[in-house]
Amino acid sequence: MREKINTFLASDLLEKYLLGETTKEESQQTERYIAMYPEVRGSYEELQRNLQIFAQQYAMPTPEGLKEIIISAAKKEKRHHYRFLRFAVAASVAIMLFATTSYFLWNQNKSLQEENVLVTNQIKYLESNMMNQLEDMRNQFIVLNNPDTRKVEVKGKEEGKDLKAIAYINPVKKLSYINLGKVPELPENKVFQMWAEVNGELVNLGVIKPLDDKDKLLALPYGEKAIGYITVEPKGGNKAPSVENIVANITF
Amino acid sequence: MSTLIEKHIVSLLAEKDDRAIALLYENYGDTLFGVAHKVVKDEDLAQDVLQESFIKIWKKADSYDPSKAKLFTWLFRITRNTAIDKLRSVNNKASKEVQIDVSDVYKVGVKGISPDHMDVQDNLDKLEEKYRIVLEALFFDGMTQQEASEELDIPLGTIKSRLKIGLRELGKFYGTTLALALVINLIP
Repeated sequence: MREKINTFLASDLLEKYLLGETTKEESQQTERYIAMYPEVRGSYEELQRNLQIFAQQYAMPTPEGLKEIIISAAKKEKRHHYRFLRFAVAASVAIMLFATTSYFLWNQNKSLQEENVLVTNQIKYLESNMMNQLEDMRNQFIVLNNPDTRKVEVKGKEEGKDLKAIAYINPVKKLSYINLGKVPELPENKVFQMWAEVNGELVNLGVIKPLDDKDKLLALPYGEKAIGYITVEPKGGNKAPSVENIVANITF
Repeated sequence: MSTLIEKHIVSLLAEKDDRAIALLYENYGDTLFGVAHKVVKDEDLAQDVLQESFIKIWKKADSYDPSKAKLFTWLFRITRNTAIDKLRSVNNKASKEVQIDVSDVYKVGVKGISPDHMDVQDNLDKLEEKYRIVLEALFFDGMTQQEASEELDIPLGTIKSRLKIGLRELGKFYGTTLALALVINLIP
């Protein structure tokens, strides 16, 4: 410890610090030594006293009038300082206001952009939906009016014996539709489900809802030698048709 | 200067009270003016330096930390650095402007020392030349120890030791002067 203090005192750090010529790190080190070791603190005090003595030896009477000039300059500076402070406060308020407004506008812009994306997506969806519906209507029109269209009457059996439907199949346009004219009521735990076997692949056409519009034409996937089935399935529909429960066939 | 006045000035500075400037000027003005003059070696420039230093002191008043330096040390640093900066800026223009007549200015400086300062002037005279030269080079000419070593053609180690011893010697003189003054005052 003593050696450390002696090394420090032997260095010129304290003298450099006295004149304010130390680097930031050197200042921190010196301040640490001054705070920790009374001997270093004593030396620093002595250096400060001696610096004052040394400087006093060069003292010269100040010129007349300089005091007033300096005091007036200091007062002016103080006024400037307060003016600057007022300006700084005003500027800070303006900046705060600007920042708040900017944030508000940015936020608003962000939500508008999000809303814009949402609306654009909705428009695209509606457009696509409308196009599909138009296409569907066009196809229905073709099927219903085309002389090549075959009209197949579908009759149910067993549980679906009251089921009546008409399938419209047009091999030229390769379109087929079905109109479920009458769908009998089933026990609550059962539903009618429609299937189509197209090119050897079984397609689930979904559960038939008895409340559907009776004049509504449902599109059927078209295929050469395709076969349509209506089965009775448990409520909610089935993943694969129950062959034993086929209540109607639609032959294309 | 008594510690009481120093404390009073420090508290006025912290409160940005105008009275601090007047008190600073009255208590330290002559010494700081002397320091500025010693560095710039010109009375008009020294006045500018003193004015600029006081404005800096006033502006930095709230940054003064009494735990890190005595008030005078802080004032000295500001004045010395302002003077060194001023001298450098003048020297940069020197090639285009009239050179300062150092010897003439020096005379003004010596004439300007009042009897009030003669005791300390005696101390300065007592300080051996070899120490005084080193202290002046480091304190007033803005030289680093290395620069002083080269300029004065003295080994760096000797510069360091003369700085230490020189400052210590000053303390002894001051102690003697103070003791003498006390003895004189005690004689009826």
